[in-house]
Amino acid sequence: MADKRVLVVGGGLGGLSATMKLAELGIKVDLMSLTPVKRSHSVCAQGGINSVNDATRQLGDNEYKHFDDTVYGGDFLNHQPPVYEMAMWAPKVIDLMDRLGVTFNRTQEGFLDRRRFGGTLYKRTAFAGATTGQQLLYALDEQVRRWEVEGLVKKHEMWDFLGPILNDNGQCVGAVAQDLFSMEIKSFKADAVVVASGGCGLIYGRSTMSMTCNGSAASRCMQAGAKYGNAEFIQVHPTAIPGADKLRLMSESARGEGGRVWVPRKPHDSRAPKEIPDSERYYFLEERYPEYGNLVPRDIATREIFDVCVNGGLSVEENRQCVYLDLTHIEASELNRKLGGILDIYRKFQGVDPCYTPMRIFPAVHYSMGGLWTNYDKKESGGLIAGSPKNQATSIPNLYAIGEVDYHYHGANRLGANSLLSCIFSGLFVAPGLETLLSNQGPGSVAAEQPQSLYDEAVKKQQERHESLLKQSGEENPYLIHQEMGALMTNAATVVRHNNQLEEAIGKLADLKARAWKCSLSDTGTWSNQNVLFTKAMQDMFPIAEAILKGALARDECRGAHYKPEFQLPGLTAEDPAEHRRQAEEWCDKFEQNIQKFLKTSVSTYDGKDVTISYEDVDTSIEPPRPRFYGLVGAEQISEVWQERKKKKKEAAQAAVTN
Amino acid sequence: MIAHANKPKTFFVKILRQDAPGKPSYWEKFELDYEPELNVISVLQKIAAKATTAGGQKTTPVCWDCGCLEEVCGACTMVINNKVRQSCSALVDKLLEDGREIELKPMSKFPVVRDLYVDRSRMFNALKKVKAWIPVDGYYDLGPGPKQSRGDQEMAYPLSECMTCGCCVEACPQYSKIELTPNVGETPEEFEDRKVDTFNRNFVGAAAISQVALFNLNPTGKMNAGERLDALTEEGGIQVCGNAQNCVAVCPKKIPLTMSIGRIGRAVTFNTLRKWFDRPAKKH
Amino acid sequence: MRRQARRWKGSVVSSAPSFLERHEFLLRRLHSLAGLVPVGAYMMVHLAVNASVFGSPRIFQRLVFHIHSLGPVLPLVEWTFIFLPIIFHGAFGLFITTGVKPNIEAYPYNSNLRYTLQRATGVIAFLFIFWHVFHMHGWFHNHFWVTYVAHPLMGAEFSPYNAGSSAALAMQASFLVPVLYTIGILAVVFHFSNGLFTLGITWGIWISPTAQERAKLLANVVFVIFAVAGMASIVGLYSMSQEKIAEVRAEEDEAYKVLVETGDIVPNPEKHSPLSEYAPGKHSDAEESDVEEGE
Repeated sequence: MADKRVLVVGGGLGGLSATMKLAELGIKVDLMSLTPVKRSHSVCAQGGINSVNDATRQLGDNEYKHFDDTVYGGDFLNHQPPVYEMAMWAPKVIDLMDRLGVTFNRTQEGFLDRRRFGGTLYKRTAFAGATTGQQLLYALDEQVRRWEVEGLVKKHEMWDFLGPILNDNGQCVGAVAQDLFSMEIKSFKADAVVVASGGCGLIYGRSTMSMTCNGSAASRCMQAGAKYGNAEFIQVHPTAIPGADKLRLMSESARGEGGRVWVPRKPHDSRAPKEIPDSERYYFLEERYPEYGNLVPRDIATREIFDVCVNGGLSVEENRQCVYLDLTHIEASELNRKLGGILDIYRKFQGVDPCYTPMRIFPAVHYSMGGLWTNYDKKESGGLIAGSPKNQATSIPNLYAIGEVDYHYHGANRLGANSLLSCIFSGLFVAPGLETLLSNQGPGSVAAEQPQSLYDEAVKKQQERHESLLKQSGEENPYLIHQEMGALMTNAATVVRHNNQLEEAIGKLADLKARAWKCSLSDTGTWSNQNVLFTKAMQDMFPIAEAILKGALARDECRGAHYKPEFQLPGLTAEDPAEHRRQAEEWCDKFEQNIQKFLKTSVSTYDGKDVTISYEDVDTSIEPPRPRFYGLVGAEQISEVWQERKKKKKEAAQAAVTN
Repeated sequence: MIAHANKPKTFFVKILRQDAPGKPSYWEKFELDYEPELNVISVLQKIAAKATTAGGQKTTPVCWDCGCLEEVCGACTMVINNKVRQSCSALVDKLLEDGREIELKPMSKFPVVRDLYVDRSRMFNALKKVKAWIPVDGYYDLGPGPKQSRGDQEMAYPLSECMTCGCCVEACPQYSKIELTPNVGETPEEFEDRKVDTFNRNFVGAAAISQVALFNLNPTGKMNAGERLDALTEEGGIQVCGNAQNCVAVCPKKIPLTMSIGRIGRAVTFNTLRKWFDRPAKKH
Repeated sequence: MRRQARRWKGSVVSSAPSFLERHEFLLRRLHSLAGLVPVGAYMMVHLAVNASVFGSPRIFQRLVFHIHSLGPVLPLVEWTFIFLPIIFHGAFGLFITTGVKPNIEAYPYNSNLRYTLQRATGVIAFLFIFWHVFHMHGWFHNHFWVTYVAHPLMGAEFSPYNAGSSAALAMQASFLVPVLYTIGILAVVFHFSNGLFTLGITWGIWISPTAQERAKLLANVVFVIFAVAGMASIVGLYSMSQEKIAEVRAEEDEAYKVLVETGDIVPNPEKHSPLSEYAPGKHSDAEESDVEEGE
């Protein structure tokens, strides 16, 4: 009888933690990745990983507060039971990573050191220098290598996942993949497939993501019928270093240490920045937000930089959007002492010293909150039922999704240092569920019992696609189409979204899609043909790109990373107290209406031609949604009204119970 | 900004190409328009999109390996103007300071897959050989790990930044290339076995030695220090090091590799002596 | 490494790994150690003794007499502590040097230069010592060999009982001799001092960058001291005038006479310069028949 096997697609934090936990449970794993797993995109995470800890606990922190910060930060679009479970697990996850040898920074007494991150009042974040993601990934990579030596894990690095294989009952029983070197297309039998393929930043052309984050695996699942959730929620980081190849992160701490953001008042002023006198500089954050200045919250900074360049036409350069982030007024020795690490990145990649020349920065696509729709098995008391095969399951039976490619932990906006947690947590948590799934399947491997023709057919289909692409003739160049798509997506669906622009972009995307199938390849070889692999990935970006645009168009509100100025609830304007109060009431009415209408997961499905959006309720059973105020005028009054209403509701609920 | 004023309008990129393993290599030259702030990755991206040589002939896009593009993943190592480094952090403006041409070659110590793409599986194999992991009991919640001093963490952290990029071994005169091809009648498993066996009999290289230093520093990893040291005194172990110290000079992460080599050199000395004196008496 | 069966070129080869493969670590460590003790230690003594000729050929001769007072045990000592270790260190060194690819052009770092020079000087030292032993001692002490092969090829020029005078003549035999000695001694001394530095890393004596920097300084000092010592003996021997040589020879013979009388050394005409009054054939003492082989 053949052994049961699980195929894990992707070897970042999610894929590796799932693999390692499955191996511990004695389940054989095939681990597939586009790169050696040690080179996965998780290495790019800098900041840290969050959990409640003994020190914060004594200051009043607890798992519930971590949960609350996460859902509040995510604008209540997160499904609460999984987030609750994750927050409960967070301290254990960090303990485990500590045991695995992660070189976390230490206090002088030898405990894990913690720092504070955005969106919370507590020092929850454990970190290893400025490369926490790299360190966590390496610890997991080492454990998986150990299981590889033990023989429970078989790695298939340099393989491109081409899609799941479904049997007649619609169950996933394996996958088709292609060897990046030999170009061989092969089927992999598996009793369950776990997709842990990360984000889809490459749809935006350039982003802070790695070159492997093209979203193709997610798209191929979607094309096989999997549902995709909250596609329109894409996190944009305010300060990144624009590069010809990639946008590299510039930490927020540069502004924290006194960095000033400005543009020349004269568009595309050709003078060197230091020659432009103060009077001709537009310190737009300081002028527009006198109170917060350059330290406005992340999303606002992002929007304003975007607005100044795109709508104001005040970008520093004519052909490229960027603003100055100026540290030159601070002593160089002080800068190097406090910001040495991040300034080094700028020096290394720009060849310019930010101590003496203002940095050129621009917001960049950073994280996809959305992803493959996944299920969970909820416990009555909050949290999830451990070991349930429903957890992390996609809409295709026996196909699972974890990590960034899964959608339900971060809602409309991800908090800093929560992504590493969600990846490791979902990887560890999916494994016992898979164990249950496999044992429910009875003895022997289900995949092994499927007719061989099923697998052969799947390979044949992919082989045909591959070969027709090689033979294809046309005028189009896949790299240029990708650039156009990137520009289109970046303009329409990043920071500030307008319905007319989105509508236009959907049309343009359809044109581009048609052209994408008219590419002729400059390489038609049969060995390590990156040209054809890229073209396939590029073509597969379209369903997700379409889901992002359509999801954004349909969502007429502002929520987390999704910002449509037309639908923003305005602040209170009245001076008169009664009128002020009335406006606050009205504001809260509108807010409640908005919750009714839009506090919903957008679910995209692809029928082979078009993406269709539907909606699903969000589970907010643990903490009811409440408004977020960032610099909103009249916030105090609104908050007061909101508290009163909350109290009334509670009383009504109690009355209903007693009656 | 590096002075752009005196930059040429165009520049040349000469690339040592190879169509597949075992095929002859050949040079191909590309001409690109100068733009400020290019790096070698963006140059290769432009070449891929253009796929035309300097002579105007159509060619295939150059094959190369890359990932994060911010020097933390270790994928994009290549030999640029005769020196091994990450291509993402190789800035065109700096490379053009000495001329109008940039020369790209694949790493010379690893088999070429195609063009600039090489197969570094030998390095990952070395990590298996030296058991570069913490042998924990399992992944259930067993509380936090052992406390560690700040000093130890500060010593371990730089070592744990190693991204297996291969710069250290490329520059090492003691590390030589191993390129095997399957023999007639050999099954893939037999070929794999032969490959692993050959890898294991040749120099492990600085990266793996430094990983042993890292894991033997960890309070839990220390418990199995002897196993890792044993692996480093097998054939191809630390003794092959010739102290050229190029590894530490080319390491993009500035890992103190020669310090690791010295530390492990001491440890294997004591480990070997201890083992020799502790060896079980021969049974008759 | 334990391998039951090895696959080689597709077929299973049942032979165990070779001796060299099984004991690579041990052999490399022995090689490293041998460079310091006894080879390096011998070199230091040798250079120091020879340097004495610069100041006083008399002291030099006294030291040589001391060494030779071992008499018949001397060859045993020489083979155990000098020749065999040098042969092992040299031959194994050459063996491990083949197959390495110096890359000093691409990586022109100080340490890489030292690495490359270490191998180059190793080869030079090997050739130099080979020639030097011939030049001074003729390789074999067989009378026929010495007379008809070594001497005509400018070999076996050194006579321990006329140490200073014969060495001076040997050094002055051609202008090439001091040139070759200069190159050879500098190579040997570099090889030793740099080898001392790398030995400290290999065995884990200096680990941190600071410690290694200090060790490098130490190695440089060692280099300077022994390079000066080596040069002093070359200059001392090369600059000795014919009159002085004759004078020194007379003194040596004088000392020989006294020491033989006191029984401190064994009389041996083969250890005399042909120009000495005690040279074979010049005197017909009882000791003449005492021809010994091997040194």
